[in-house]
Amino acid sequence: MRTDERLHAYVDGELDAASALELEREMAQNPALRASVERLRELSAAVRTHADYHRAPARFRRAPQEKRRWLVFAPAFAMALLLGAAIGLYFDRQGEEAELVASHVRATLGNRLIDVASTDQHTVKPWLSARLPYSPAVADLSSEGFQLQGARLDYIGGKQVAVLVYQRRLHTIDVYVWPGEETSRGAFARDGFNVERFAYGGMSYAMVSDLNRNELDDLKRLLERR
Amino acid sequence: MTTDRARYEALLLPHIDAAYNLARWLTRNDHDAQDVLQEAMLRAFRHFDGLRGEARPWLLAIVRNACWSWLRANRPAELPAAEDEQESDAPGPEALAMREFDRRALNEAIAALPLAFREALVLRELEDLPYKDIARIAGIPIGTVMSRIARARRLLAQALQPAAVPRLRVHK
Repeated sequence: MRTDERLHAYVDGELDAASALELEREMAQNPALRASVERLRELSAAVRTHADYHRAPARFRRAPQEKRRWLVFAPAFAMALLLGAAIGLYFDRQGEEAELVASHVRATLGNRLIDVASTDQHTVKPWLSARLPYSPAVADLSSEGFQLQGARLDYIGGKQVAVLVYQRRLHTIDVYVWPGEETSRGAFARDGFNVERFAYGGMSYAMVSDLNRNELDDLKRLLERR
Repeated sequence: MTTDRARYEALLLPHIDAAYNLARWLTRNDHDAQDVLQEAMLRAFRHFDGLRGEARPWLLAIVRNACWSWLRANRPAELPAAEDEQESDAPGPEALAMREFDRRALNEAIAALPLAFREALVLRELEDLPYKDIARIAGIPIGTVMSRIARARRLLAQALQPAAVPRLRVHK
């Protein structure tokens, strides 16, 4: 131990009893050594008295709020939920679209294409209104090349829907109509049929036909104009 | 959980000022000290089971290590280089001549001490800890505690000498 380290230890009360006694004997005979020790005490006292003592801010005066560990997984969990919902919705839509096409195919294969056969919109509309809790618009579009053939009722996606049947050349077009605009929109092909879905005037529409897409778009525009 | 919190609050909160004071002196600003203390208190809360013996040195060791980790990551220049531990040719206690000093100069001089010496001095003078506790907190032998404290006081005395003051003046 260096001499001055011994003095510091002495001031700090860290010298063992024997060494402290010996130092005190030395100090008794050495005024300079005594003065050194005295200055060290002063310095120590000065630091203790005048150095800033920083008190902790109030927010530390209680146990920390431990972040719940599982919250770490919350974002991933939310993502999974969202993905699950998206997949569910996708298959739901897939299911509904498959139903639409199946309905159309069944109707064109058998003889249940039309429940009310009439080219007259004033016959078809009351017939539907009498059987459904809503009344879809029925348009005569023969001047535009889409002949109204009649209508039937079907059951798609857990709901009763009106199906307006139009003819263009040799193609049959089923137009499914039900209330609400919650339908997905867009055109797609399935099993060789074109399907186009849109919403208009508070109703959801789905057109299914083997007609080409451009002419199906024409019909959509005509229906939207009514 | 409730009993953990109660135990934590009973055992560690009495030392929260010591913990903050150490973090404040080691990081030298309030914002960083709060960040470090936040982290350290969470650690202390989590590793509460590991507490044996006195709570104060145990807590201060956690705070001290959190400070050093933080400094290592954010201000590596402040970490001591190897030569800092070597003995210098600094004058002995004879040079410790100082009677009047102003509070601000003292605080600035302490803040200007190299990290390891500042740490030893703060633990010794402001927390009044015995060498063995300082050794435990800083993870160094008692002999090193002794030499660091001696060195810290020597550097402080030099900085506070009247002769040192003109060097701080702005020359016109």
